[in-house]
Amino acid sequence: MKRLLVFGAALALTVASAQQLQGNPNLRGEITVWSWDIAAKALEANIPGFNKLFPNVKVTVLDIGNQATYDRGLAGCAAGGGDLPDVYSIENNEAEVFWARFPNCFTDLNTLQPAASTLRNQFPAFKWTELTVGNKVFAMPWDSGPVVMFYRRDIYSQAGVNPATIRTWDDFIAAGKKIAQATNNRVKVGVIANGQDDEWFRMLANQNGCFYFNNEASAVTVNQPGCVTALETVKKLIDAGIVMQGGWNEQIQAFKAGTVATSMFGAWYEGTIRSNAPDQSGKWGVYLMPASRAGGVRAANLGGSALAIPASSRNKEAAWAFVRYALGTTEGQVTMLKQYGLVPSLLAATRDPYVAQPQAYWGNQRIWQQILGTLGSVPAARGTQFFQEARAIMVKTQADYVAGRFPNAKAALDAAAQQISQATGLPIAR
Amino acid sequence: MKRSATPYLFLSPYLAIFALFWAWPILESLLLSFQNTRVSPPVWNLSVNWGRILGDAAFWDALRNTVLILVIQVPLMLALATVLAVALNSQLLRARGFFRFAFFAPVVVGAVAYSAVFRLLFNQNGAVNAALGTQLNWIFDPVGAMAVIIITLTWRWTGYNAIIILAGLQSIPKDIYEAAEIDGASPWQQFWRITVPSLRPVLLFCLVLSIIGTLQLFTEPWLITNGGPGTATTTLGVYLYRQGFQNINFGYASTIAYAITLLALVFSIIQLRLFGRES
Repeated sequence: MKRLLVFGAALALTVASAQQLQGNPNLRGEITVWSWDIAAKALEANIPGFNKLFPNVKVTVLDIGNQATYDRGLAGCAAGGGDLPDVYSIENNEAEVFWARFPNCFTDLNTLQPAASTLRNQFPAFKWTELTVGNKVFAMPWDSGPVVMFYRRDIYSQAGVNPATIRTWDDFIAAGKKIAQATNNRVKVGVIANGQDDEWFRMLANQNGCFYFNNEASAVTVNQPGCVTALETVKKLIDAGIVMQGGWNEQIQAFKAGTVATSMFGAWYEGTIRSNAPDQSGKWGVYLMPASRAGGVRAANLGGSALAIPASSRNKEAAWAFVRYALGTTEGQVTMLKQYGLVPSLLAATRDPYVAQPQAYWGNQRIWQQILGTLGSVPAARGTQFFQEARAIMVKTQADYVAGRFPNAKAALDAAAQQISQATGLPIAR
Repeated sequence: MKRSATPYLFLSPYLAIFALFWAWPILESLLLSFQNTRVSPPVWNLSVNWGRILGDAAFWDALRNTVLILVIQVPLMLALATVLAVALNSQLLRARGFFRFAFFAPVVVGAVAYSAVFRLLFNQNGAVNAALGTQLNWIFDPVGAMAVIIITLTWRWTGYNAIIILAGLQSIPKDIYEAAEIDGASPWQQFWRITVPSLRPVLLFCLVLSIIGTLQLFTEPWLITNGGPGTATTTLGVYLYRQGFQNINFGYASTIAYAITLLALVFSIIQLRLFGRES
């Protein structure tokens, strides 16, 4: 499978750094922004800087939750654009369903001044794939989600585990057993949302160069070898009894209570840990995700979002100014990185001196350098307009396989591929 | 104006609203069920949705879960409600007004609010585990999650049904019981020979309402378990919502809606066959 554009090469291609955004006191109006969790807080943190340039635009950020943003956005588009904000947050994985079913719901950003196509070189190419249909650009790239392991230094060392020696998933399982032993089984080594989500499967599959669909969005590939290995590993982790099962909220409760020693997520989870457990400062660190086999890929991507402007917005110009300030300037992106750990995809921002600084919360580790360093190794994966349907089927398949209802991972994924193919009308790739 | 037109004139506002907000959506969704709505604009395709539904494992899972709730939760709840109604009707009970209100109160609470509370209660670190001294992972276990849904529904609707049954109890003439007592019938015999048969139409009414409610069940599984783990608590209502508003496949969602309607029809016929003749 094709590799992403190597980050270094992309940097070299970007001749000019991000343009300075020109302020304009004549631009007036009020705009509303929909987003979720720390993403909403990060956008809010950008309002003061934005208002220095555009003092007469009033920005209101509403945190309505991730699922609700998606659901209400689709409902709004289905209703012909009613009840939508001026700026809409959208996950790259889920973006294509909007463009496919409601091509008129969002503003083509090439029709605004300056056209989005003039900003193309300021972001890595892969971030635009799901946001572009033909010549139209429906959203501006925001953050990306390079996957890493966030771990508790104190718990690891108490159990005598050195994270530098964890290179494969087998090493990770061995470490998990040591941690369980050292803590009387009180501390688990991870949280897997088996039955409610398939994030771990997606991260591991992506690492192995496999995903629900191929990158042309023309066939189902979920039963290919990389995905089989990923699903086997998820079951191995659960069977070993070293992970707890829980969703988003349970995971936050667990790391706050110190009952979980590692969180694997997209790097945007950094802000979630830091803002939920400020008292654990200095106790955390970061290492690369283990590979499926020695010497294998130790990088993946989970999540990553974009901002779109609904066609029903009455203040498109002001909305576009805000989007360009928050996502298109180093200042805007670094503000979000500093306060909430959102990993910029704006190339100029990845070279900001802040990225190279040691982070006190993370035991003075230079985590951003390390995290951004993995971006070049992330295999490409595409959500397509059928992402949610495939995901629902995979969540069930994973739970059934873990519960022992299939003889092996290949059989489980063959059944999933069959169902996804039936649900989407796409053929299963040979 | 002709005199015969007058009633229609009075009815016309209702008829207009009925046509706009009831008849048209019902017809529109029937038409949608024969269209592929995953392309823009939708195209006619008579088999795309109806051809899919019978082979769709997720639909069968949802149907199985809904039927499971029907055969476990509904009888359990109606039995509890009957016992509760008899107790509330007892002359021995003090502060009857208070108890009647207390058992009816859950219906007044917003579904979203109490769903959130139940999710917290059954959390792995929640109050239920603390009280039982267990570490059960209710929400993440297929059987546990279904148990939570059934407990929640029973908590909310038992009192409501009990109040309806109570009204039925009070309409049973007292002299029947007096006559039975003179004939030497025990309270147990009175309950089975007089109370239950007299309540038959009321119980049938509660049963019909509960079955319709279960077929439409959405809020509790959506908010407490999100239909999971896997599809363990996905009801037909949840599956319809997922297809309609998460996958934006209105055509297939309409097909599911019509499938639910057909099921309701089948259940109604069965009920009439079983209970309808005598009452």
